[in-house]
Amino acid sequence: MRRSLILAGLAVLAVPGQALAQAPAGQGSWVGPFAVLVAGFAMAIAAGLCALGQGRAVASAVDAMARQPGAAARIQTAMIIGLALIESLAIYVLVVAMILLFVQPVS
Amino acid sequence: MNVIEHPPIFRLPGIPDHVTYTWLVMILLAGLAFAASRNVALVPRGLQNFFEVVLEQFQQLIDDVIGHAGRPYLPLIATLGLFILVGNLLGLVPGMNGPTTNLNTTAACALVVFFAYHWIGVRKQGALTYLKHFMGPVPLALKPLMFVIEIISHLARPLSLTLRLFGNMFGGHILLAIIFFLMGLDGLIGWALSGSPIGAVVGGIGGLVMIVFTVGFLYPLKILVSFLQAFIFVMLTMLYISGAVEDAEHHGGEPHPAHH
Repeated sequence: MRRSLILAGLAVLAVPGQALAQAPAGQGSWVGPFAVLVAGFAMAIAAGLCALGQGRAVASAVDAMARQPGAAARIQTAMIIGLALIESLAIYVLVVAMILLFVQPVS
Repeated sequence: MNVIEHPPIFRLPGIPDHVTYTWLVMILLAGLAFAASRNVALVPRGLQNFFEVVLEQFQQLIDDVIGHAGRPYLPLIATLGLFILVGNLLGLVPGMNGPTTNLNTTAACALVVFFAYHWIGVRKQGALTYLKHFMGPVPLALKPLMFVIEIISHLARPLSLTLRLFGNMFGGHILLAIIFFLMGLDGLIGWALSGSPIGAVVGGIGGLVMIVFTVGFLYPLKILVSFLQAFIFVMLTMLYISGAVEDAEHHGGEPHPAHH
């Protein structure tokens, strides 16, 4: 199972190479297709890790609110701020992915 | 990118979109404020009542975060908050380009916040005392290192404010544009109308599902994100101002105002 996953991963990496083999000679570097691949993977990893972090934040906030219902409003405010700050890290990765895809600094 | 670009309803010649729609937001807010202050009554009614509630909420936030010393900064914070909120919401209206979907507008707001809180700190405590607080409560040998680290973290603040607001707004914009592209006349609905039976079934069902998804889930989510990002921007501004102002109170030993 694991060996076939590794082979599948390597096969995915070979696809951008195929795209380059058909590019006309003397035009474009080998970075363009890989930039798209990297943008997709980076965004996926960032979204997953951001979800883990936000899940922990919300779990702690809900625990605290259950423990002290009187402080629920302040805990909710702190939770919202914390969630937005964690999410902004995934947004930075989104901005880098958009730069790779649309501005194409290296192509 | 060209395939998902759609120009807004009106454009002024020679002026970029984000400037045009910033002017529209300014005209909207100024018009509303003018209308709300026409006949100022002691017992407020109508538009004046609405704006008094809004400003009271801002005042409550400032009291909670900065404390009593934050009262003079209500105009700055409320203006930033209302401008960013209306700018975000304007991007949701079909046919209009929101100003905050452009990096220039959000960078301008973040730079205003950056210079504002440093200016407030310097004016309140004096330049040397303010700079001394950058060095933090570390032993003398580590103070230069702490100073450098503080400078870097202070420089990261406007960058993070800019990118957070821009990324949230522009990301939602691109998502909506791609969904319109997938389900519009070039995509599923075009396939449904093209006459082939498979197209009618798959395109019809797919188009309907995407329309329900967009109107029922994506638009409310975008409205929530608009409010949330404006709130976060204002909250971070207040935190930075309170960080620049509160150090003077450490020496006085004044306790943080309790939540009332």
